[in-house]
Amino acid sequence: MTTRGVGRCAALAVLAAAAAAASLAVGRSSGGAVLGLGGPDLAPAILAEIRLPRALLGLLVGGTLGLCGAALQGLLRNPLAEPGLLGASSGAAFGAVLVFYFGLAGPQSLALPAGGVAGALAALAALYALAGRRGDFLTVILAGIALNALAAALTSLALNFAPSPYAALEILFWMLGSLADRSLAHVWLVLPLMVPGWIMLAAAARGLDALTLGNETAASLGLDPRRTLWLVVGGTALAVGAAVAVTGVVGFVGLVVPHLLRPLFGFRPSGLLLPSFFAGALLTLVADVAIRLMPPGPELKLGVVTALLGAPFFLHLVMRPRAAALPGD
Amino acid sequence: MSIALASTRAARLAVALLALAGTFAARPAGADIGRPTVASINLCADQLVLTVADPEQILTVSWLAADPEESLLAEQAARYPLNYGSAEELLRYAPDVVIAGAYTGAFTRALLRRLGYRVVELEPEVTVADIAANVRRVAEAVGRPARGAALVAALEERVRRLEATRPAVPVDTVIVRPGGFTVGRDNLAHTLLMLAGLRNVAAERGLDRWGSLSVEALLRSDPQLLVMTGYRDDQPSLANAVLRHPALLAAARERATVTVPAAYWSCGLPQSLDAVELLRRGLP
Repeated sequence: MTTRGVGRCAALAVLAAAAAAASLAVGRSSGGAVLGLGGPDLAPAILAEIRLPRALLGLLVGGTLGLCGAALQGLLRNPLAEPGLLGASSGAAFGAVLVFYFGLAGPQSLALPAGGVAGALAALAALYALAGRRGDFLTVILAGIALNALAAALTSLALNFAPSPYAALEILFWMLGSLADRSLAHVWLVLPLMVPGWIMLAAAARGLDALTLGNETAASLGLDPRRTLWLVVGGTALAVGAAVAVTGVVGFVGLVVPHLLRPLFGFRPSGLLLPSFFAGALLTLVADVAIRLMPPGPELKLGVVTALLGAPFFLHLVMRPRAAALPGD
Repeated sequence: MSIALASTRAARLAVALLALAGTFAARPAGADIGRPTVASINLCADQLVLTVADPEQILTVSWLAADPEESLLAEQAARYPLNYGSAEELLRYAPDVVIAGAYTGAFTRALLRRLGYRVVELEPEVTVADIAANVRRVAEAVGRPARGAALVAALEERVRRLEATRPAVPVDTVIVRPGGFTVGRDNLAHTLLMLAGLRNVAAERGLDRWGSLSVEALLRSDPQLLVMTGYRDDQPSLANAVLRHPALLAAARERATVTVPAAYWSCGLPQSLDAVELLRRGLP
């Protein structure tokens, strides 16, 4: 990364931190947004148990989605790649829905995210079983798309058999993503999966750069494309699976963030990973604060707002003359 | 070192003061009458709380409870502050007990428990026994077991009266809901149809819980009575358009029909039995 790139990345990190601070400061009550913490008797619980987990998860989940989006777009050299592509998201959603359906969600709400994590890992295991032997990219993508569709279909099937029509409604909302009323327990649940996922993606950075020259050239440079492939696929499944397991499917962040950053940070995949983490966190946190600033009413779902916020930027990028979108530095 | 110590002391003092402030913070009237204060965050829980608890115990009910399309007790619910079921807003009410549904707001319920609140979860009501059980649970949770027992006794007496006056020959019936949805077995609406002395054609065809019924399948099943349940008729939706299908309207003209508001089918309450009397009035 150039010096300018480092400066820009630091600026993104500062913005993300500011958005996290805003997330701590803004609450929501029956009458709409609440600035500050309310009475002194409530402040400790509201800050530590309600808003802190929400801000932390916004940071972790948004960052993960941005990071994985950048890594996958680099790996597949395809601008449409996004974290949901490999089946990890829909596998996690299916696992969570199953837990819900069998009524295990009960008082120990960790059963729900744990089911999500199990679903994501199962999707990854299935992907490896289907495509691991061959290890060529096309097989992995196609198997991932098939698994994605299968998990989505199974989720719909489970919804059809849900014991209560309200359960079906709840699951549907849950699949649009939300950070509302998560607790620190969820933060501790996702971290042990996200951190190894991030490390795997960081370890793939050099391989991703080499892959931009093509598989054969990368191999001639002494890099094993299959190693890069499985680092990215495994890291994404772990990190995104954990994210989806506690927040539901938050769309658009992983797709749009790398595109927004490419004009600023260039096209080298490794230079895009860290900025995408911060920008993903920023977009998610801003969306989550915006949710709380809406007029009184039931909360909007996070996935709806990230798309509403991200789409105009994305369209602006797409509509610009192609020449102007070439790398600047 | 001494600064650190002093600041620790200051922190302890602050915590103690906060705790004290909490104790003296305005407590709602419920505390005076020695019964727990209650907040509910689910439409069905709201209506049970409104039915069972003393009005002074109720701090807040969910916003759906005040919507006449959803709730049988909308007028009553509108007298209370309405919540949207988030943990932060409930904290501001500081209820002694939170009544919730077993399938809604899983994360909120877990967080409230973590914060030390007593959370009572209600399973959806399918049978009259389920209604009685939930009435007893809410009554026990709000410290009015005698009120609960009286409500249950009245409910059971009413069921006995309805069973005694059931028509001798069951009438073939289909419930038509927006989107062509109908109601099968294992469902509150089915329980109410049985009590009214009707035969639920969809259930006899093997449908359990909820399901969709195409207009064609509905016509072929040739029911004697159509129970029409609109939902937000004035708001456009594809689901409501099904209710205006010409073939369905023609079928409705040839048969006995009765309209039951959607709110009767959603939650099992002692008041749900009013729907049985509505249904009986529509008998051919």
